[in-house]
Amino acid sequence: MKESLLRLKNSAISLILDTNNQDELEELRIQFLGRNGELTQLLKGLPKVAKEDRPEVGRVANEVKQIIENALMQQGSAAKEQKIKTTLDVTEPGIRPSLGHTHLVTQAITEITEIFERIGFSRVRYPEVEWDWYAFTALNFPDNHPARDDWETFFIDHKPDPKKGTMLLTPHTSSGQIREMVSAVKSQTEGQKAPIEIKMLNIAKTYRRQSDVSHTPMFHQFETLVIGQNISIAHLKGVLDYFVKSYFGSKRTSRIRPYHFQFTEPSFETDVSCGVCDGKGNLPNGEACKMCKEGWLELGGAGMVHPNVLKACGLDPKKYSGFASGWGVERVLTMREGMQIDDIRLLYANDLDFLKQF
Amino acid sequence: MNIQILDSWLRDHLKTKATPKQIASMLSLSSVSVERLEKQKNDWLYDIEVTTNRPDLMSVVGLARETATVLNANRIEASFKSPQLPLVKTASRRTGDVIVINNDPKLVHRVCAVVMEVKVKNSPAIIKDRLEATGIRSLNNLIDVTNYVMRVIGHPTHVFDFDRLNTKTLTIRESKAGEKILTLDKKSHTLPGGDIVATNDAGEIVDLLGIMGLENSVVTNDTKRILFFIDNNEPTHMRKTSMTLSIRSEAVVLNEKAIDPELAIDALLYGIALFEEIADGKVVSPIVDIYPKKVVVKEITVSEKQINTVIGVQIPLKKSAEILKGLGFAVTIHNDSLTATPPTFRAHDMEIPEDLIEEIARIYGYHNIPSLLPPLIDKPSNIYDALYWENRTKNALKYWGFTEVYTYPMIGKELYHGDIKDAITIANPLSEDMVYMRNTLVPSLLEVTKKNKNHDSIQIFELANVYIPRHHDLPNEQPVLAGVVKKPRASFYEVKGVIEQLLQDLGITDLVWTPDTTDNSAVVHQNKEELGKIRILEKHVIVFSLDFAKVLEHATSTKKYQPLSKYPALVEDLSVVASGHVLTGDIIETIQKQNALIREVTLIDKYKDTRTFHIVYQSYQKNLTNQDIIPIREKVAQALHTKFSATIK
Repeated sequence: MKESLLRLKNSAISLILDTNNQDELEELRIQFLGRNGELTQLLKGLPKVAKEDRPEVGRVANEVKQIIENALMQQGSAAKEQKIKTTLDVTEPGIRPSLGHTHLVTQAITEITEIFERIGFSRVRYPEVEWDWYAFTALNFPDNHPARDDWETFFIDHKPDPKKGTMLLTPHTSSGQIREMVSAVKSQTEGQKAPIEIKMLNIAKTYRRQSDVSHTPMFHQFETLVIGQNISIAHLKGVLDYFVKSYFGSKRTSRIRPYHFQFTEPSFETDVSCGVCDGKGNLPNGEACKMCKEGWLELGGAGMVHPNVLKACGLDPKKYSGFASGWGVERVLTMREGMQIDDIRLLYANDLDFLKQF
Repeated sequence: MNIQILDSWLRDHLKTKATPKQIASMLSLSSVSVERLEKQKNDWLYDIEVTTNRPDLMSVVGLARETATVLNANRIEASFKSPQLPLVKTASRRTGDVIVINNDPKLVHRVCAVVMEVKVKNSPAIIKDRLEATGIRSLNNLIDVTNYVMRVIGHPTHVFDFDRLNTKTLTIRESKAGEKILTLDKKSHTLPGGDIVATNDAGEIVDLLGIMGLENSVVTNDTKRILFFIDNNEPTHMRKTSMTLSIRSEAVVLNEKAIDPELAIDALLYGIALFEEIADGKVVSPIVDIYPKKVVVKEITVSEKQINTVIGVQIPLKKSAEILKGLGFAVTIHNDSLTATPPTFRAHDMEIPEDLIEEIARIYGYHNIPSLLPPLIDKPSNIYDALYWENRTKNALKYWGFTEVYTYPMIGKELYHGDIKDAITIANPLSEDMVYMRNTLVPSLLEVTKKNKNHDSIQIFELANVYIPRHHDLPNEQPVLAGVVKKPRASFYEVKGVIEQLLQDLGITDLVWTPDTTDNSAVVHQNKEELGKIRILEKHVIVFSLDFAKVLEHATSTKKYQPLSKYPALVEDLSVVASGHVLTGDIIETIQKQNALIREVTLIDKYKDTRTFHIVYQSYQKNLTNQDIIPIREKVAQALHTKFSATIK
């Protein structure tokens, strides 16, 4: 019985699909589903089916009826469509589902995260309101370093902690390096004895006491930290290249050059070739490229983790080495889009006319 | 800090056939970044960014020495020509007017000084051009010499009108708070205290050392005798005074970076020669040189293995030694390591093996090191982490027509919720509207709606931290999801629907909603835990906020499979007439409780006293018929009647 039903369904469907003439379709409907149609005829044999099988056969019969009805309807509307086309104004706007916007910074953070996760980085997040020890001391900043001035870093009006110092708004995601290493060392001494390996991506809000066309007092950085037993400058270059090609495009190249930071040694500035002048420094008309410096755009700082920093976190610099980088989210996003935003504060002015462009 | 230098000036001290373009690109790759190379008449101008650890490169001599090494490492022949200095002895034998300097070695590390007779006039064109190109205005030959020497040698210098000083002694001390001075640019300042100053016999302040000269002792067009004065100052004093008084002179930018005191005497001698050449200068005093504590340089040892591990390339020890020698280090090799003694002008910058590795690596050439991806870590990861749920949330809201905003976590008093005395307060805020770390997100969003008055319909959200103070600890940074819907006919049910749908998408169901009449809001709970609330602020403005940490606790990707029934469902719509005080949630709950065959109850219409519910009946055992439903319907009617005095239409 079940098989007969399925056979009936198949022959009905193939006949229906063969035509889109309305009259023929109506004939097929009568032939299969009509009062004396083939389905009704077939179901007259139902009492002969064993009692326990009846519900199942009933269900299949319903299903077959449904499928044939659907096929007739679909084929029928396909037939009608040809007529409608002449009365349909296809230039009239469609009725769209509502669509909002995620912020440009969210979009950039999502992309950056994806790129680094593909090469095995894990994203973490650490405090924005932080102790001096994590933001400066453990990162090898001397007491009198300018970054510790009232002019550069926001300090919180709070009694200093006897061990961790003053409370502040972290001026960089590098404080996350310290948090990450300290927690890795802690979980190691608590049990697992395997050598420490870290591949961290820390993306967070950071704060500096600056507000002008190229600075906002709150901004975002993304920080990488890789720690292991044989991590070298070559690895830093590998990650930099991978990021630059993934984020900016395969035609762009990267380089590292000497720089100076307290918490890395050696330290580098990382550059990306300019997308406007193709890294030449000059435009085809001979004028100097206004976008870049001699064909290169600065991406941000990087370096090999300073042994004092490793030591502060409880890692033996004789056993471990590693690299870190800290780059600006707003920076890479404006660099890539080639957005000539004349005032970066626009990103956080929350003008809906601006936000809805992205 | 940047320095601009003409190519021709650099080549006074650098002998090479390298083109300016080559020099610029090699320096950028291996030393300091040449940000611009510009053609200027028959010359080229380098604009170079010097990092704070290399103040020795803020000079023509320093750059020439470094360039020679970098070029040689890249197989371009080059040699460094050191500046010609007159012999100290010749100069010091002269006698004449004497000046005594009382120094405080804690404030000034070295003082070199001499008195000279001079004639004020204009400087020769070459000096003028070079100074102008480097961004310093040419004034007269006396001032020009001080600036020219600073640029060549890299040590700031100063010149007093010796007769206007009118003193036999100069006393160096820390200023007291409130002392007043008039700097040579005719601006008056009140000193904060602890600034390095010099006084004359009369006790008048005649110099603000290392920062700027004073009006009362500056050279004029009538100057006949000068005191040429080189002071090597303690850097933190420099930074503090300069930042407090907002004086950022060329001199202080250098002085706050710890300049090599060994350069002080070079600057004096080079200057003497220059005064003689362009100001008819004649030395009329012995040379003063107070240098209580010599610079100490540290011997550093590094092994070949460590060099190669950090750089990631095999570099023979001999090659490393060669590189360091080129940079002015004294180097010895023993077995598999080398020991290097840095030159004095790198004393502050060279302390540990890694410092040497950096020197070796950069001159070897970062561009010669390969690119490798670091090894993978064998550690399982949880893809359903907080960031996953955050993204999912943001995307859902985006596709439901909301626009995401980013507001500053620092706020003004009026946006703070609760007692401002408890707030996390910034000690050095930038402005009055960014003093406190916010403890609530909604007010920031309402500010955004105010700013966007030109929009009739606004749907915005933000997912960001609020900062809850804790006793003697860092604040609790709690993620909050908040939003504002402001539009004509904004509906509570629409916003509630968004929250319900969102939570459902995060796997959070079985929500309970309760009213809170104190602030005209509805609170949503799961398992008696408050997740957030919706508030109706005014007719067209509805806000919501969710404690996102709690949402994350409950969010789940686990899906439950409910076996499908083999039997079709029966559906019917039931119109219930009940007083408006009866809650729809209670009616639905009551209907559902009456029989296990009732699978689903939804409100589909509401008109005056009548609410219509769509009811789905389904059994796993059999085909339901109307006969099965009649008793259930009766039971429902009865229950509704007893409980709510409701009737069925």
